[in-house]
Amino acid sequence: MNAIVLIARKEGGDLLLSLRGLGWLLTMAVVLSVFGLLLVGNTELSLLDNAQVVYDMGGIVTALGALLAVVVGTDSVAGERERGTLVPLLLTPTSRTSILLGKLGGQAIAWAAMYVLALPYFWAVGSTGQNLIDGAISVALLGSPVVLGFGFLAMGIGARLSSARSSLLTSLIFLLLSASPLLLGPSLRQSSVGRAFDAVNPFSGALNAYDAVIIDSQTIVAQFPHFAFTLVWLGLTLSFAVYSLNRVFK
Amino acid sequence: MTLRTFLLSIALFVASASAWAEPLSVNLSATPGNPASPQMGDHLNFHTIIRNDGPTPVDGLIAWISLVQIDKGKEQPVDLEDWSAHKAVTAPQLAPGTSLETDWPMRLIQAGTYRVVVSAVSRNGPNLTPSTFVDFKVRQKPVVESQRVLPVAVGIPIVLCGLMLWRRRRS
Repeated sequence: MNAIVLIARKEGGDLLLSLRGLGWLLTMAVVLSVFGLLLVGNTELSLLDNAQVVYDMGGIVTALGALLAVVVGTDSVAGERERGTLVPLLLTPTSRTSILLGKLGGQAIAWAAMYVLALPYFWAVGSTGQNLIDGAISVALLGSPVVLGFGFLAMGIGARLSSARSSLLTSLIFLLLSASPLLLGPSLRQSSVGRAFDAVNPFSGALNAYDAVIIDSQTIVAQFPHFAFTLVWLGLTLSFAVYSLNRVFK
Repeated sequence: MTLRTFLLSIALFVASASAWAEPLSVNLSATPGNPASPQMGDHLNFHTIIRNDGPTPVDGLIAWISLVQIDKGKEQPVDLEDWSAHKAVTAPQLAPGTSLETDWPMRLIQAGTYRVVVSAVSRNGPNLTPSTFVDFKVRQKPVVESQRVLPVAVGIPIVLCGLMLWRRRRS
């Protein structure tokens, strides 16, 4: 079997089959469940429009996916180095490119697992409203570059910093900062600082596209500028990860 | 003589009745800014003017808002728990010729046709004084349905817990 696929399966399998990986997925599921239960248990939230709820769910799934990607990305490089398993991997007769692509594939599998896990929740909260399918598609299209970008960023940071703990902390701080539009109200985001931050934040790009598709019923095709923005983010973080990992391999 | 006695009795009765008559009047109206076709989740506001039209002060005034659903087959009083936090107003005294104006904000929780009324009583007044009715209709809005959320929100973590147990037994 191709070395890239083997490594990707190993990385992804760690998430889907190991106790630790299942524990992460369970934590994500519990967060989504709590959000769902809040929606039906709180009078104020239960009156939210379906489209608004699907939009919120899209934002939460993207944030959780990015969080999972940061954890998996940090673990795949900095974690392996601390556990002493990175050097034996580099000593195997596998090209460095294959190892790199395999680890990137593991990131994609982790996000795919998270996305599949989120689909029933999308259905549960949004099946009676508008644009549910378009919303799920836009999370797949725009959320994937954002989430994978954070995974690559965490891999790159993990390759550069000396300890897994400091790598994780640095990546988490960056993620918290980027995901702040989820916490800020629309009025704060409309301020000049908020608009400037939105203009360079890939998370905001994805959220704005979700808003346009799910709430404003715009077409997914019309979100191409947002999509391109998230692809630029993916390209930059991928380059950072490749460059940083090559330094480790040397 | 008999006619004079009768007229005197009538006069005494009218005089005593007017002495006991409730001098309050309650005027209820929907605020002009309310949405024309409200739906679940919208806010409505009602306004009352409670006036003392009598010659003496009214002590211990209490006014409260009531809501009833008047859809055919669903006639029932509505518990205002989730609808409004402003359910009553009190005043220690309302002087003759003065009025008490109150706003009654309301959050629309359920679809249906409703009738709202504000009632007022005073400490010594013998009768309850109701306002005129204001009717309104609340449109249905697609919101989250609990019967879909609960199985998913409870089921998926249980499935994952099961997977973890299975994995733990195998290892």
